[in-house]
Amino acid sequence: MNGIKYILRFIGIMLMVEGGVMLTCLIPAFHFHDGTWSQITVSGLFTFCLGMLLEVSFHRAPRFADKRMAYLLVGLMWCVLSLFGTLPYLTTGVVHSFADALFESTSGISSTGASIFSAVEWIPSSVLLWRSMTQWFGGFGIVLLVLALVPSLGINKYTLYTAEASGADNTSKQTTSMATTVGHTLGIYVLLTLLFIYLLWKNGMHVWDAVNITFTAISSGGFSIYNNSIEGLTLVQQYILAGAMLLSGVNFALMYNFVTFRWDRLRNKFDQLLCYLCIYLVAAIFVVLALRFEMDYSWRESLRCGIVQTISVQTTTGLLAADTSQWWVPITFLFVALSLCGGMAGSTTGGLKAMRVLILSRNVRKILRDRLHPRSVSPVRLNGHPVSDNIITNVMVIFLIFVAVIFVGIMLLMLCGINATESIGAAIACVSGYGPGLGISGGFGCYAGFTIMAKIICTFLMLMGRLECLTLLLLFMPSFWRKG
Amino acid sequence: MFKNNLHRINEWPAERLGLRKFNFKLIARITGTLLMYFACSMVIPLLVSLYYKDGAQFSFIVSGMVILLLGMLLRNIVGRNVRYDLKEIESYWITFIIWLVVPMCGTVPYLVTGAIGTVTDAVFESFSGFTTTGSSIVALPEELPLSLLVYRSFTQWVGGIGLLLFVVAILRKLGIGAGQLYEAEFSGARHRKLHPHLSKSVTRMWTLYTLITLAMVGLLYWVGEVRFGDAICLALSTVSTGGFAPDNGGMAMLTDGGLVIVTVFMMLSGISLVRLYQLFTFRWTHLRHDQELHCYLAILFSAVALCVVAFCSVGNGFKESLQYSLFHVASTMSSTGFYVAKPAHWSFFVSAITFLLILLGASAGSTGGGIKIWRVIAVVKYMGNYFTNMLHPNAVTCVKINGQVVETDYINKIFAFVFLYMAFIVGGAFVLTLCGCTIPNSICMAAANVSNLGPSPLINNLGGSLDYAMLPNLAKWTLTVLMLAGRLELFALIAVFSPAYWKRRI
Repeated sequence: MNGIKYILRFIGIMLMVEGGVMLTCLIPAFHFHDGTWSQITVSGLFTFCLGMLLEVSFHRAPRFADKRMAYLLVGLMWCVLSLFGTLPYLTTGVVHSFADALFESTSGISSTGASIFSAVEWIPSSVLLWRSMTQWFGGFGIVLLVLALVPSLGINKYTLYTAEASGADNTSKQTTSMATTVGHTLGIYVLLTLLFIYLLWKNGMHVWDAVNITFTAISSGGFSIYNNSIEGLTLVQQYILAGAMLLSGVNFALMYNFVTFRWDRLRNKFDQLLCYLCIYLVAAIFVVLALRFEMDYSWRESLRCGIVQTISVQTTTGLLAADTSQWWVPITFLFVALSLCGGMAGSTTGGLKAMRVLILSRNVRKILRDRLHPRSVSPVRLNGHPVSDNIITNVMVIFLIFVAVIFVGIMLLMLCGINATESIGAAIACVSGYGPGLGISGGFGCYAGFTIMAKIICTFLMLMGRLECLTLLLLFMPSFWRKG
Repeated sequence: MFKNNLHRINEWPAERLGLRKFNFKLIARITGTLLMYFACSMVIPLLVSLYYKDGAQFSFIVSGMVILLLGMLLRNIVGRNVRYDLKEIESYWITFIIWLVVPMCGTVPYLVTGAIGTVTDAVFESFSGFTTTGSSIVALPEELPLSLLVYRSFTQWVGGIGLLLFVVAILRKLGIGAGQLYEAEFSGARHRKLHPHLSKSVTRMWTLYTLITLAMVGLLYWVGEVRFGDAICLALSTVSTGGFAPDNGGMAMLTDGGLVIVTVFMMLSGISLVRLYQLFTFRWTHLRHDQELHCYLAILFSAVALCVVAFCSVGNGFKESLQYSLFHVASTMSSTGFYVAKPAHWSFFVSAITFLLILLGASAGSTGGGIKIWRVIAVVKYMGNYFTNMLHPNAVTCVKINGQVVETDYINKIFAFVFLYMAFIVGGAFVLTLCGCTIPNSICMAAANVSNLGPSPLINNLGGSLDYAMLPNLAKWTLTVLMLAGRLELFALIAVFSPAYWKRRI
């Protein structure tokens, strides 16, 4: 029971943060006079006050060190945040049905980028900012944010951290204090955001647009404030965004070490970085050539589309350089596989992550070697260090659960009457966090055509993907709720 | 010093290239012997041809002679003065070579009779036969000579039990490598010998396999009232879980009784041969405690139940749904690949179940394909333990199947296998999309061929065609590789291509 009280207190703090973020949307509301300031104020204050109420009433709740509670906390928190994130959509009347609002809100918080809006330019600017901001906060992992901001919570932060990022990347924890690690990461995140806002502004974009787009690009979210995503931007702006996405797929600890000249530590993640970049390069070259020779784009166009779109897919961002729904089928297939692959572990991207792909394939090589040379000792190595068996099985389990969740998702979507291609696209796009699926939900399309049941399934899949499946699945295990 | 140099000259060029030195002569001799036996087996279609007077008798004589000559060449000329020692590592190479050469020679009758025009098509058909897949490029099998149909099903029958068991059975001189060969053929089958003596257990398997086939022919002929030639084809293709049907009408020649016979035999052939042996020799205590068998039956019948519910819910009659579901689930799960006329209304849910069954496959040690139930049990149990360990990090857990602990190392192998399986499906599907197939279709086609299922109504329902003749050559070759990979359970195929195999030192 004490655990529950503590969880409620923690949720209270999260809601206060969320309410505060909502209130910052008042700035565009006043600046652009879009007439939504009253609704935004109401939603923000409601969320904030509810959070405050929870915080105050359970202020004295004792701490806990129970793993079970940590998983419950993380699982619940993402649900609650998504739930309250619907308020700005509902109060301003931008979205009429609750299922739609929940879909959009979850898609934001989980930095997926699947949208129910086919056009977005008519939406009031305050709501647009809210959309982008949910992605920015969600992409970073709002739990980590709170950990960094409130250092005295006393909870076993590392447990929380693993609950959110599923363990595999133990090497990201580079200082003894969890809060410091999170602080460094946050610093890099903010710096990158500011840098790219500046770059875009320098290259002729309005500050307002630059802020929104950078928020969604750095968080690998993918909501855009234009109807045709980023297709209408100038060439330079698109390449800058490609750079932003490329960096959003790089491990933040790696970037921190790079920026602070601790270059000897870069070796720790060199393999993953190489794997990430190689996959990107190979895929991009294939896409560029396919666009040029199979679809008869001009060189300029195919380079632009190939480079920008491929990185957008691999980092599971979902900004679109062109209407991909009409592209050649093998490119589409490649994109589906790429989005499952994802960027580096410890970045904002979704999917399996380059590190896991590397471990999976090296493990196959190891098994082969073991079979051919039964008496040899040949561990799986990453960056020159042997990877422990625990991590390998962890990666395997996550991979299989990923596949299983996607399969179940496809099955359920098909039961809702969506055809095979579209269910495959939607399920994979939601679990990996890419956003646009195939068919009606792909390209510049949207998820508005889905039935309510299908939308709820997609919502669930997005949360599943954001928490790397394990944490949420654990909550559904009977053994989780058994006593002792 | 001089001695050393001489040694090096002897090993050239394998030594210079850093390659392993193989006992190629032995491999040639084994392959040659196998080819000679294969040539002799042409007698069966020849007799059928003479009996039914379908005019293909000379083609079979010619193909038999060609293969016999080739076999003699390999056995007696290339494989002269052979050393009878087989290193463990060479068994992969033998597996690969035999699985490459024999199906290649199996194309000869197709080409000689002129039933199949191009080499690509013949190779596709032959590999589809030997790997017990059953994907066919022949649109109207009933127009082919009956003897050729029998031959087609016979390749499946030979491939079903595994060519290598044949090798083990006939070459007693093989010695140390034999156990390894057995493992390479049935990689899911640890400790599954019928007799401590390997060659004896292999002989028993062959006997059992032949007897089941004969029983099925008899039942189909006398109870099912099928033409004798068709009965042979059906039995050969069913027991091996192959799936070449002698007609294209969805088993139109079968009565209701015949359908039941085929269904039951498909279910049986999804069970491990060892368990079948115990079943027919009344050693039922083993069966009662076999988790894999329980699991196989549980999955089989719950899938049937789900399919019946799904079919009834979209408005089909109960009897029709039950009959179809039983046949369909048995055919899919045992990776046979027969199909009958579908109920009037199809349900998406059945498609999803079908896809799952394609991946799961049959029991380990059976002639079927797929990931195999045994592996799935191990993986599921391990995942359950994993969740326990997430909450209780200090808990000590282990995976037990049939009371035996499965070591973590072995679990890791299974995981890697499943990963490779997915990788092959995704890779194959990607190439198929290059050939112009839609995404769901190419995924299903790749999965069905890696699992050695072949034609599945699922592909049809996704808007694809079961007629593989329409595909471009690239797609046919890709599917051929996938079939072979699936039959060799992936590792045996990629082992030959891995750098670790060729390096002298690792």
